[in-house]
Amino acid sequence: MSEWDHGTAGSDATSDDAELCMLQADPELAGMFFTEALDHLGSIENIVLALESAPTDVRLLNDVFRPFHTIKGNAGALGITSVQEAAHEVESLLDLGRSGKHVIGPAEIDVILKAVDVLTEMIGGLKRRVDGQAAPDSTDDRRALIAEVERIIAGGSTAAPPPPPVSVAPREPEPEMSFAGFGPVPAPEPAAVHPGASAPDARIGGAKSDAVKVDTVKVDTRKLDNLVDMVGELVIVQAMINEDPTLRRACDERLGRNLNQLKRITTDLQRNALAMRMVPVRQTFQKMQRLARDLGKKSGKTVDVELSGEETELDRQVVEDINDPLMHMVRNSCDHGIEDAEARARAGKPAQGRLKLSAYHHGGSIVIAVADDGGGLPTEKIRGKAIAQGLIGEGDPLSDNEIHQLIFRPGFSTADTVTEISGRGVGMDVVRGNIEALRGKVEIRSVAGRGTTFLIKLPLTLAVLDGLVLRAGDERFVIPIFAVCESLRPKPEQVHEVQGRPQMIQVRNSLLPLVSLAELLGIGEVPAPAHERTAVVIEDDGQRIAVLVDDLLGKQEVVIKSLGLAFAGVRGIAGGAILGDGRVGLILDAAGLVELVSNTSACVA
Amino acid sequence: MSLATARTDDPATGTTARATPGKYLTFSLASEEYGVSVLKVREIMKMMDITVVPQVPSHVRGVINLRGKVIAVVDLRLKFGFEAKEETDETAIVVVEIAVDGGTILTGLVVDSVSDVLNIVSDEIEATPAFGDRVKTDYISGMAKVKGRVKILLDLDRAIGWDARMSA
Repeated sequence: MSEWDHGTAGSDATSDDAELCMLQADPELAGMFFTEALDHLGSIENIVLALESAPTDVRLLNDVFRPFHTIKGNAGALGITSVQEAAHEVESLLDLGRSGKHVIGPAEIDVILKAVDVLTEMIGGLKRRVDGQAAPDSTDDRRALIAEVERIIAGGSTAAPPPPPVSVAPREPEPEMSFAGFGPVPAPEPAAVHPGASAPDARIGGAKSDAVKVDTVKVDTRKLDNLVDMVGELVIVQAMINEDPTLRRACDERLGRNLNQLKRITTDLQRNALAMRMVPVRQTFQKMQRLARDLGKKSGKTVDVELSGEETELDRQVVEDINDPLMHMVRNSCDHGIEDAEARARAGKPAQGRLKLSAYHHGGSIVIAVADDGGGLPTEKIRGKAIAQGLIGEGDPLSDNEIHQLIFRPGFSTADTVTEISGRGVGMDVVRGNIEALRGKVEIRSVAGRGTTFLIKLPLTLAVLDGLVLRAGDERFVIPIFAVCESLRPKPEQVHEVQGRPQMIQVRNSLLPLVSLAELLGIGEVPAPAHERTAVVIEDDGQRIAVLVDDLLGKQEVVIKSLGLAFAGVRGIAGGAILGDGRVGLILDAAGLVELVSNTSACVA
Repeated sequence: MSLATARTDDPATGTTARATPGKYLTFSLASEEYGVSVLKVREIMKMMDITVVPQVPSHVRGVINLRGKVIAVVDLRLKFGFEAKEETDETAIVVVEIAVDGGTILTGLVVDSVSDVLNIVSDEIEATPAFGDRVKTDYISGMAKVKGRVKILLDLDRAIGWDARMSA
């Protein structure tokens, strides 16, 4: 059994401190240990999920055994007995598994996944303590894990070895799930074949296909961010030199060519630097697979997750930030979208619910889709709830799509009971907020009885923005081009006054609120009649307003700079941009401006 | 923690000077002289155009471009309650590092003029007398008397530290 004495209650505190000392003594070694161990733990999870469908696959068993073994060894070398101990237990179980002495059944898979969680918690906790932060105590979790593994080993195999794979005609290729709706519902499966035996590869979305490894180097993300910052500065200085009037005057052909060359190289450099921050969505998608599996177990449904386009790359920060929204959507699909086995059988659907996560490029954006083949959004329920909440009127003519959009309102949920997992009504509005903070949009396509698809559209890069530069008074502003509908020189007859001041403008057939940018933001200006200025029509989420400015200074691709915590509460401003002459121009936030207008125009009848 | 904190207790006010001896950059504001530890000073620049940011307190002048980084600029005169004054050739922006929430951020401070870097020894540091409300005394880490002139040593993190309440 275990060769370690689990010790008396008091000894853990001192051994914790001892471990901390060892790690603090050599920060570089500690850093390497943490990074490697957490890396390993991340990759183990996916292999275990593959193992679940093919528990006798010796290659997979080895692939899971090895990282635990490595973690144990590294921890031992650094004197981190807590991790060493826990890893050793699991390693023993896996060793029995790969020598055929203990069948890896569902209970074993569960405990291995639990071990991944506990070890991640332990190592994460150590890392935080080394950094001087507090971390929860994992002693109890660790002890519980070790006890459970020992119990399982002692109890011998409880799972029956799987039947030898029945030879079965290869599955009909499923019709591609398209996003405009689902293809014909696939015919119910031929009876009773152990699901894993036939086609694990297609299911688990390429965990095995990762065998093709690209040569990589581990780089501290801070160094990377510094590099990207410096390249950003280079781009700005280069632009300033290019536009310097003295230089322009003195410019001859040769100098001109060299300046152009400089500009080309700098642009390339920036593109490459930004590309270094890109990582594939694979890891995030795989986390969703695990989530769907766990949720399925809890609710008694089986959900099969299919991945597509997981090699698609996104900015590192975006990948982190979409994690929560994706989790919400996966939860919604698993809890509310996908029906239980009975309901699915009645609808002629296969017992296994299907969830497809895909990522692809479309136009200048990245699209991430979460599609399920469940029952679709309950349109009538939503309508009823919205009426009850006073969001719409009884007789309001709203299309199905418009009804579906209502789920993004705060506090909206049609779940009859609040389940532990979701249905609490705080989900979708936060999801949309998070996505919009990334300058993205989220759309829903839902067909009753067939399923629901969420589409998240994100800009390709966080750092650079295509903007329109405006002048209002002495200050210059940048508004993202995608928020601009059009700009015009208002004619006096288009402008309508209310209470003696211009408040509305007629643009073709619509009457839009008209407001001066300077006034809206609360900065001073010299008033001028509307028809001597320029009106820019901006749009956010279907709402349009017309903003008066003094001048349009042209299009510019600008590097977005955060203004920092101090300015987080300023409404209507999304950040700063460094303009061609080196000065800062504030980036306008369309949503914020529209909100400001609807707040201030409350006084307009 | 520094090994040589000047623990000069003023029995009259009961305050203790926190300032540590070392090099301080001194500058003037109205008729008073201030000092900040050079360790916190990143850069000194001539006054430049500041982009105004709306909806912030008046002592926050706005933002500037510091070699590719956008940083906030605070007018110390206004912050400390002095009257605003016309800029002169001597007006400068001192870029300092402020410790905030476990990290540091750069902020620019507008001052009337920048003086010398002085090496202040512990003998020269005294506790802060009770001032009244002009400058809240917790902004002050000590007083230094150098060559007969008094410099007010600022605790920058406390004086300028941003917190979420700033942007309400």
